[in-house]
Amino acid sequence: MTEKDIPEWLLKNENYFPQSDKDTFINKSITSLLGVLSHIRRQSGHKTDLFGINATFSVIFTILFIILLSVSRSLFFVITANIYLLLILCLLKGEDIMVILKTSFGVAAFTFIILLPTALYGNFYSITMITPKIFASVTAINILSRTNRWDSIISALKTFFIPDIFILVLDVTIMYIVLLGEFSLDMLYALKLRSVGKNKSKQASLSGIVGTMFIKSKEMAEDTYAAMRCRGFTGEYHTYRKFKFSFVDSLYIIANAIIILCFIYFGRYFRK
Amino acid sequence: MIEITNVSYSYSNIPALKNISLNILKGESVTLMGANGCGKSTLLKLISGIITPDSGSYKYHGEEITEKKLRDSKFSKLFHQKIGFVFQNSQTQLFCPEVYDEIAFGPRQMGIDEAEVENRVKDCLKLLDIEGLKYRAPYHLSEGEKRKVAIACVLSLNPEVLVLDEPLNGLDPRTQRWLVEFLINFNKSGKTLIISTHNLEFLQEISSRAILFNEDHSIAADMAMENILEDIDLLKKVNLIDEYYHKHVGNKHSHFHLHNY
Repeated sequence: MTEKDIPEWLLKNENYFPQSDKDTFINKSITSLLGVLSHIRRQSGHKTDLFGINATFSVIFTILFIILLSVSRSLFFVITANIYLLLILCLLKGEDIMVILKTSFGVAAFTFIILLPTALYGNFYSITMITPKIFASVTAINILSRTNRWDSIISALKTFFIPDIFILVLDVTIMYIVLLGEFSLDMLYALKLRSVGKNKSKQASLSGIVGTMFIKSKEMAEDTYAAMRCRGFTGEYHTYRKFKFSFVDSLYIIANAIIILCFIYFGRYFRK
Repeated sequence: MIEITNVSYSYSNIPALKNISLNILKGESVTLMGANGCGKSTLLKLISGIITPDSGSYKYHGEEITEKKLRDSKFSKLFHQKIGFVFQNSQTQLFCPEVYDEIAFGPRQMGIDEAEVENRVKDCLKLLDIEGLKYRAPYHLSEGEKRKVAIACVLSLNPEVLVLDEPLNGLDPRTQRWLVEFLINFNKSGKTLIISTHNLEFLQEISSRAILFNEDHSIAADMAMENILEDIDLLKKVNLIDEYYHKHVGNKHSHFHLHNY
């Protein structure tokens, strides 16, 4: 190719005035994808889990906490549980507190509205018990999710005799959310950069992106499987993890033991 | 034409650009050089308006490019028409069922009549030597073919500036040589060219000016390409070359090795 081969229109300045068009969908998709990816990146940037507490204990006690909350009939225990969670929240970063409280209040408000008719018929028990229970359960799960690395939580599942192959699937899923998320983000950027006018068939462009994503994920899955086979994978997978117990873990266990004692005590002497 | 002043940018508190200042004139061919992760791609994204600076300013033809302005649909579309960006991974850029539609996507949106669109597509196919791929599905093409199609679909918009992120990566030697020739001639036709690479093999042919990035995401040098390529200490400092030893007829000596050179 020589300089002379360049077509004439490419040598002229483009005299173009774009028409306005609605790009809200592309922009919103970019923003939400960026949100998910930066959350995962921030998580992987954590050097340790919350205060260095072993994720296995966090998972066990969070599940136990939710079970105790759901079976408790004592309002005192529910209030104590909420106070305990709010104390833990106080120790987190401002940004985390905002996100957790936003979700918890949102879900609790929704529950409150749903249960409001029962209160109008005189059943105040449901609204006063279920709403704070929901608030505490959502807060507990959010604290677990925001303060522990996902890989730590996944490996902690081994304690519950979850099969290794299932743990592998969860690990790989998170990896693919990041890889395919970054790929689709680039595709959306490319679509945005090339959407320089009025796109009459936005659906066609977006379905093109979905189609390419499907092909890409299939290729990546095949490559990963081939790479695993090359490294000796025959269908069985074993996860290994080191169990560490620290002083912080003992404090965490004591705090949760107090919560369990509160459950027994309030359940026995302060029912309702 | 492009004025970047004291620009910094970070991804979730991880710095990607630190206090970057540079001017690029119309018709220039500039290469951003640096080791992996030094901020080259981020700067290209900033120039293309995908991201905006955390601090500092970016001006295009004297007009500051801000997030607020890019939210204005008309301004954003006009700006993206002026600056064509070819992604490092060409596959991310291709989402139409056929190569023809892919190249025609931009001109059709610009409201150009179909006869002119067809003319542009034909010219682009011929220019990039991919006439045989006209009705092929982009996802079934080889890496080199995808790169050519990605360039063609940006060229069909007739941008003032062509920005290419690592354009030579993953291409076979013949396609690399073809692309280098293409970029040289494209720049000679008066278009501005900005590319990023850590491949030093063809740089002197493509660009007369080089901007060298430090590994700490700041600019280490901005000077003529030939001067930069001769400054061995500087290239070593920014991790673009390494030193290795080997023996010639029993005599041990050291020499510098350029990546892919």
